[in-house]
Amino acid sequence: MAERLANRLRAEREFRGWTQAELAARVGVSRKTINTIENGVFVPSTLTALKIAESFERTVDELFSVVED
Amino acid sequence: MGDVDRVEKAERLGRKRSQIFFVLAMVFFAGQSVYFGAPEATRDSPARIGAWLILVILMLFLLATGGFLLQGRDVRDLLNDESARASRVAAQAVGFWATILALIAVYVESMFDRVTLNEAVHIVGTIGVGAALISFATRERRAHRLG
Repeated sequence: MAERLANRLRAEREFRGWTQAELAARVGVSRKTINTIENGVFVPSTLTALKIAESFERTVDELFSVVED
Repeated sequence: MGDVDRVEKAERLGRKRSQIFFVLAMVFFAGQSVYFGAPEATRDSPARIGAWLILVILMLFLLATGGFLLQGRDVRDLLNDESARASRVAAQAVGFWATILALIAVYVESMFDRVTLNEAVHIVGTIGVGAALISFATRERRAHRLG
């Protein structure tokens, strides 16, 4: 069974009213990276996942989870 | 420049880069049709061989650095952040396999026909570098289109 990384980035970002560019600026990555993570195309490094979690004042576990397809 | 401005600038340059790299790879491949289409007229021309070599080195340089070297470090860091580096690693893998397949094809061809060293290097180099650049440009274009 295939596993993939699901995330709540878009929901958290939209809840705060941030654009992808604003989140990218807070994390220190490109908008494209945020975009591809949100769409499940790109799996971020641990460092970036931690920085994203820090930006949202959440834990990595609250933002990312492993789901089975 | 604010952080968001930097992100937006990197976004614009990243889109432009993926388009430029794609067009460059297409022009590169199109240029080879002249080389292989009229061999007697072009293969021994030092100017043409030199132009090919310069283009290959330029494409390798762009692939390795991501280009836009005159931009500030902060913008270049965003342009070459981890998703761009992942695209580059995947593109290099595509280039590697394309090179190996081209080598095998040239080797098989040499069993039936005469293939000079110059021709072999030209074919393998063109396919390997071109495939890597197209792969990088395509991945980046796709990533920019999402959303």
